[in-house]
Amino acid sequence: MTKTILDPDEFAQQRKVIFTDIGLPGSGYARYSAAMYFHKLGRLSLDLLEIYRRCSKWDHEDPVILASLEGVEPVTPDELKFA
Amino acid sequence: MSMSERDVRIPEDWDRSGLPGWCYHSPALLELEKEELFKTHWQIACHVSDVAEPGDYHTFDLCGERAIIVRDKAGIVRAFHNICRHRGSRVVANEKGHCRNALVCPFHGWVYNLDGTLRGAARPDSFPELDKHEFGLKPVECEIWHGFVFVRFKAGPQPSVADLMRPFEEEAAAYRMADKVPVDEIWTEETPVNWKSVRDVDNEGYHVAMAHPALQDLYGPSYFDEPFVDGVSRSFAEFSRDGARRWAVRNYIKMSRPPEYLPEHLHQAWVYYGIFPNAVIAMTPETALFYQEFPVSTGASLLRSGTYRHAAEDRQQKAARYLAGRIDRETVEEDIQLTIWSNESMESSSFEGFYLSDLEYGVRSHHDHLRDVLPVYNVEHAPREEDVTSLNASLGDNVG
Repeated sequence: MTKTILDPDEFAQQRKVIFTDIGLPGSGYARYSAAMYFHKLGRLSLDLLEIYRRCSKWDHEDPVILASLEGVEPVTPDELKFA
Repeated sequence: MSMSERDVRIPEDWDRSGLPGWCYHSPALLELEKEELFKTHWQIACHVSDVAEPGDYHTFDLCGERAIIVRDKAGIVRAFHNICRHRGSRVVANEKGHCRNALVCPFHGWVYNLDGTLRGAARPDSFPELDKHEFGLKPVECEIWHGFVFVRFKAGPQPSVADLMRPFEEEAAAYRMADKVPVDEIWTEETPVNWKSVRDVDNEGYHVAMAHPALQDLYGPSYFDEPFVDGVSRSFAEFSRDGARRWAVRNYIKMSRPPEYLPEHLHQAWVYYGIFPNAVIAMTPETALFYQEFPVSTGASLLRSGTYRHAAEDRQQKAARYLAGRIDRETVEEDIQLTIWSNESMESSSFEGFYLSDLEYGVRSHHDHLRDVLPVYNVEHAPREEDVTSLNASLGDNVG
């Protein structure tokens, strides 16, 4: 397997997207697609990815709130720093 | 080959008949047309300005195929089959839009990067490791010509769009079409005729003086058609600065002010390129536009058109564009009626086929192009439906 070289600009962009303001048009899909990016990097759990998927159809649905309700650990901006 | 080197002469003793009537209502022939004409020939999907920003997309459906045109993060316009690699769902369901960050299939949630590669499957724990290229969106052949995005679903007999349109390169370049922006959304309308009846009307200007009062008033005396040669026809007309009688035409002529980059010999020109089998790109001093038609059934077609204007347009140019659009809309409505009258004759037992004027040689040249692709068009009387495909194949073998 080839090792993917992490692009800091892409990382920063996806970090911005996953924390897009709740309610913006298209933000549900955008957050989920960014969550997929971080999951692939091993920075976001499978359970949390599924929370983002379930919220993706509704731009007003906050994955952090749903994660808390279901006992899934959300990610914070501090946890998603480039390293 | 340059434009002047094209042999656009009308032969002395040409066959003035059209296609046999059965060709306009045969379901078996329509299936051949879908496979051998529409999917194998270049089709205009949209204009680059319809997908101006990264993440912008436009979809394009044709004869059971469906494409998505999307601008990726690097600004490259790409075309993919709009089919999720998981279960075949449309990856985007809307005709156009903007996807922030990536494409997400609305069925199960597979995520694709804007370059088509797979970012990840939903519930990735339920799959083995998936290669992002192997499971990426399948590309559709795509070429951009002066801003117009062409796609082709299957390999076919045409060269690249650039080579196909080479004779007109200099003239087309003068219009700077790639820099234009959409006037509105792409327009579609279903019409109750076979697609060839639309093309038969559009491929000749003989009817203009009778059927299109506004066009006739605008440029009637100067209009001429060049037939299809190597897959492309051209029509040209110029309006004069005086003498128009209709309100919209008179005021269009008064308002029309070409952009500074347009050469003087095109200042009053309306130019049309017919692109075999089913599309036209037209240029006026104000706009560049495309229109096309696709079969829905033997007796129904989808008309589709997009119009593009100068990005920096002043009030006078905007007014001229509005008036040109008004003339065009009037013409389209008139043409739709003509196609209905023409198409309904194909079902009549007394219809004995076309007898074409020299001014309609463009129709014949289009039909000859059709015959080159599907020799079964040469069969005068309707074959049995179940024999159409095999008959076409055997006639092709005989020609080959």
